[in-house]
Amino acid sequence: MKYLEPETVDEAITALASAEDARCLAGGATLVAMLNAELVDPKVLVGLRKIHALRGISRTADGIRIGAMTTHDEIAADDRLTGATAVLRSAAGQIAHDAIRHVGTIGGSIAHADPSADWPAAITAAGASVEIASSGGTRSVSADEFFLGYLQTAVQPGELVTAIDIPWGPENARGHYLKFARVDGDYATASIAIVLAMDGKRCDYIRFAAGACGPGPLRVVAAEERLLGTELTAEDIAAAGDLLAAEADPVSDVRGSSEYRRLLIPRLLQRAITLVTRQ
Amino acid sequence: MTESVHIHLRINGEVRSLQVETKRTLLEVLRQDLLLTGTKRGCNQGVCGACSILVDGHSIRSCLSLAVAMQDRDIVTIEGLSDGARLDRVQQAFLDAGAIQCGFCMPGMIITAKALLDRNPRPSTEEIRHALGNNICRCSGYVKVIDAVHRAATT
Amino acid sequence: MPRREARAKATGAAAYTDDIVLPRMLYGAVLGSDYAHARIRSYNTSAAEALPGVKVVLTGEKLDGKLHGKCIEDEPILATGKVRYIGEPVAAVAAIDYATAKRALQLIDIQYEELPAVFDAEAALASDAPPIHEERKRYGGRVPPLENPNLASYTAFKEGDAEAAWSQCDVIVEDTYETPAQQHMYLEPCSTLAAFDRAADQLTIWTSTQGVFIVQYAIAKWLGMPMSKVRVIAPYIGGAFGGKGGVTNQPIAAALAIAAGAPVKLTYSREDDMTMMKSRHPSRIYMRTGARRDGTLVAREARIYLNTGAYADEGPFVNAIAVGFSRGPYRIPNIKTEAWCVYTNHLKAGGMRGFGVPQANYASELQIEAIADKLGLDPIELRTRNALVTGDKFLGGQNVDHGTLINCLEAVRRASDWEARRARRPVQPGKRRGVGVSSAAHVSAMNGAGATIKLNEDGSLTVNTGAVDVGQGSDTVLSQLAAGVLGVSLDKIKYAAPDTDFSPYNHQTGGSRTTYTVGVAVERASEHARDQILEHASEMLECSVEELELRPGGLVGVKGTATRELPFVSIAKRALYATGGPIMGTANWVYEAERFDPKRTLTAGFAPNAVGVFLFAALIVEVEVDEATGKVAIVEAWAAHDVGRAINPGAVEGQIQGGLVQGFGLALIEELLWDDGRLVNPTMMDYKVPGAMDVPYEIHPIILEDPERTGPFGARGIGEIPLNLAAPAVCNAIEHAIGRKVTTIPATGERVLRAMI
Repeated sequence: MKYLEPETVDEAITALASAEDARCLAGGATLVAMLNAELVDPKVLVGLRKIHALRGISRTADGIRIGAMTTHDEIAADDRLTGATAVLRSAAGQIAHDAIRHVGTIGGSIAHADPSADWPAAITAAGASVEIASSGGTRSVSADEFFLGYLQTAVQPGELVTAIDIPWGPENARGHYLKFARVDGDYATASIAIVLAMDGKRCDYIRFAAGACGPGPLRVVAAEERLLGTELTAEDIAAAGDLLAAEADPVSDVRGSSEYRRLLIPRLLQRAITLVTRQ
Repeated sequence: MTESVHIHLRINGEVRSLQVETKRTLLEVLRQDLLLTGTKRGCNQGVCGACSILVDGHSIRSCLSLAVAMQDRDIVTIEGLSDGARLDRVQQAFLDAGAIQCGFCMPGMIITAKALLDRNPRPSTEEIRHALGNNICRCSGYVKVIDAVHRAATT
Repeated sequence: MPRREARAKATGAAAYTDDIVLPRMLYGAVLGSDYAHARIRSYNTSAAEALPGVKVVLTGEKLDGKLHGKCIEDEPILATGKVRYIGEPVAAVAAIDYATAKRALQLIDIQYEELPAVFDAEAALASDAPPIHEERKRYGGRVPPLENPNLASYTAFKEGDAEAAWSQCDVIVEDTYETPAQQHMYLEPCSTLAAFDRAADQLTIWTSTQGVFIVQYAIAKWLGMPMSKVRVIAPYIGGAFGGKGGVTNQPIAAALAIAAGAPVKLTYSREDDMTMMKSRHPSRIYMRTGARRDGTLVAREARIYLNTGAYADEGPFVNAIAVGFSRGPYRIPNIKTEAWCVYTNHLKAGGMRGFGVPQANYASELQIEAIADKLGLDPIELRTRNALVTGDKFLGGQNVDHGTLINCLEAVRRASDWEARRARRPVQPGKRRGVGVSSAAHVSAMNGAGATIKLNEDGSLTVNTGAVDVGQGSDTVLSQLAAGVLGVSLDKIKYAAPDTDFSPYNHQTGGSRTTYTVGVAVERASEHARDQILEHASEMLECSVEELELRPGGLVGVKGTATRELPFVSIAKRALYATGGPIMGTANWVYEAERFDPKRTLTAGFAPNAVGVFLFAALIVEVEVDEATGKVAIVEAWAAHDVGRAINPGAVEGQIQGGLVQGFGLALIEELLWDDGRLVNPTMMDYKVPGAMDVPYEIHPIILEDPERTGPFGARGIGEIPLNLAAPAVCNAIEHAIGRKVTTIPATGERVLRAMI
């Protein structure tokens, strides 16, 4: 395995092109564990740590831009992530533990696209888009179109995730990430990422996604529409939760059976909405 | 055949130059090449925390760090905390609190506690539990470990 | 009293097995079976042998196929003829580095013929179940074979007449209980460094073990060598909990080292360790208990099925202990318990902290709770009314010398403010609270121990027992006992590392026996040394021994005088150079086991003698159940243990807190899971043990001290009993919170939610 440490995105793209199975090394929290377990064996590994352009959080005209190599703890600590973007901050603070949050990056996590991870649902609920660079330039893909399946994304060979753009959303929007795990710091058994805004008693914006309940983040527009314009009564939420659960395709694994996960979805949605509306 | 490269690592204040295969983790290099065996391998998956080391003051997992990607970082292992004669106050507090049983998790636990106390000198019990949440101890039930961190904070 | 070795452990200086490096050392790796049950048709190891850097490739075919086992001699070093579980070691490699050894494993080609497999204990007993050990009748060992080749052992105890007694019961409860395969999850995976000196024909082994002599015996037997050619040394041990009892990977490392003529280090990865070592026995228990309206327990019947996996290991003992504790710490005059220890095509199960008692006690304590519910009695009151007291007989007929369960119950009742706490039940939105109690008994003792204590030339002392400190603190406790007898400070006492070449014989660390059994040997050896010291002093100070006293700091003085005294160093030099020869105290001791009383108890099947002295404990826990997910959080715990005498109170608290947290893991989280014979969670990512956030800081140990008549300074062993308490108290608290019983552990969010809805 050849190890390269480019200092610019262009150099990184050139390096990625040097072997068919080249992989990027971001924080390493997942990839090095996979190397240790001999689950991957790339010929070229492209370390991204020296590309300063991939780091950091900045305000843009419409929201917040997070560089792909920004770590979970940097995101969790940034108090500019308010309103709709708060769902990211909330999620970041619940990923694994300090030692992992300090090295793990948002770009590394979403590019891996493990449906049990916390970012896919969070950026989906936030309505974020992912910037992807290639030798031809950059393109932007909405989170809804980014996650294609279990460990599958819109990123093509030779491409690199460079940033995530999160819109502010409507005024009064607020976000929250509700994670349920067997033990502290584990992958979610199920999670709900939610962004909503209220107009008086009525909900005039809502977007949510369930994590760990299918091959990718689970977003069901009909479930959102069921709540839009309502007062978010327990009955409304239960109905929306059922719509969401009906579309879920969870696996049965050590964290819970698929039936349990289906049971959890409406329950967690209820709790997430209660928490976010109380904020 | 995996490629090998020449690297420099700054460990416990000394620069070590080494020839390492690119796939090797810092944990392996510490234990096998440098015989700094105080850093332990419990899971090799980043879950147990026995391999925790300080990198630029943060507790991180040496099993999840490729050695080649750790150049120009400031690395401190458990051996770097004291010469054995005079203990670091965190080590001393773990002794005094009776927190150490089998000891296999302890280098990682002490390193993580040290990182916590360096950024938060008087942590609450909740903050200690959070910070140590990913350092597994199978012996103690954590009570005396938490006591030890409180003790270190007040000495 | 700080631990003796804590400084070495805190600085990283303490060398565990994998930290040791020898010149010319090779690295071992082991190939596990891919089949749960298959006949081995052929091996092709030539590609592996041809790989540069590979020194040895071993298979069962190349070893001579000797079988060994603590109870039943059923296990080969490497699978021979058949494989019986996925992960069973089938081949092993020694190479110049670990990566090469691992690569070589991939080049080994083994052809199998798959056989039908069986994974459930009761299913394995069916007449048409595939036989796992067809050869069972030809195996040696201390457990006689039975008709069914899948039945490793059977044990039954009967007292009174349960069948007739049901008619006297006003209330009868009956249920089925299941407990999981809990993994020991010592933080240090199994590791052995074996070195073979061809010229001297000597094998030396450094290994992570609970007992150097057990390993020495097993290796010698397996490899056909006299024990005199096998030396086993225990460096620091990174936790054990029963998982490093008996043998681990030592025979494989030894066989590789002998074949290579070079040192071989075999350290398992976590996944290898979880796939190839062992677990606690999963159990299914059918139990029925009856009582009179006033709460007097009258009758119990239990059927226990323990799944021992592919090899018996300590299963028959665990099975027998489970039977012996199936009555709990109570008087139930009519009882019949049967237990079947069954072979299946899973990973083998063996001893783990509690040794069959956590399983039996879980069922027992939930039944007591169910009776209290039905009778509307306070659960502590019901337990107190039926508790064994001093002078009672335990199941089997052994005397209860210190029947202090009632004191333990009373202590936790008070400390937790039980009545108010049960009534209060504070409720946060979305959460329910509950408070539950459990009792437990355990034994402490088992088998023999020796101790020597040498007076060194400078007046310092060296204690040697061969007992391995697996982290519980026995090096410190045993040193304290010697220091206590001889009146010297701990820094004047060296505790010698366990080494079969130098240490007195000792059975392993386990059975809550080290403080108690080895402690007796150390106390007596110290007294023996003291007597010699006093005899010298009486001659030197020209007075009788009775006129002498030991004074702090290693001095002997004439009573009533301040100046007529001698330091140990003078006595040591006199003994060494002039009179009598070097001073060495020695003692040997074995707990002389009582046989079960045949007039009280009918036993059938494999029933070893009574194994030790009893001790008692009680636990109260408060839990919070999340209504949305079913997840249970333990809020606070109070545990009272009568330890006889706490030689090192800090270490006792550590045993209680650590044992409870392992038990909380068993109660709520931990469970090895299989899919068609394949372990699906053999990693720490997937198999979770409690972390600091998953258990409360508020775990209150309460130490009671009713001194043990036979124990060193009155002490009893405390290693296992905390674990027996945890799961039933947690499930009883869950029931109090949600009004439903959870009869399968771990009580995961999923199981609890299903019970709630």
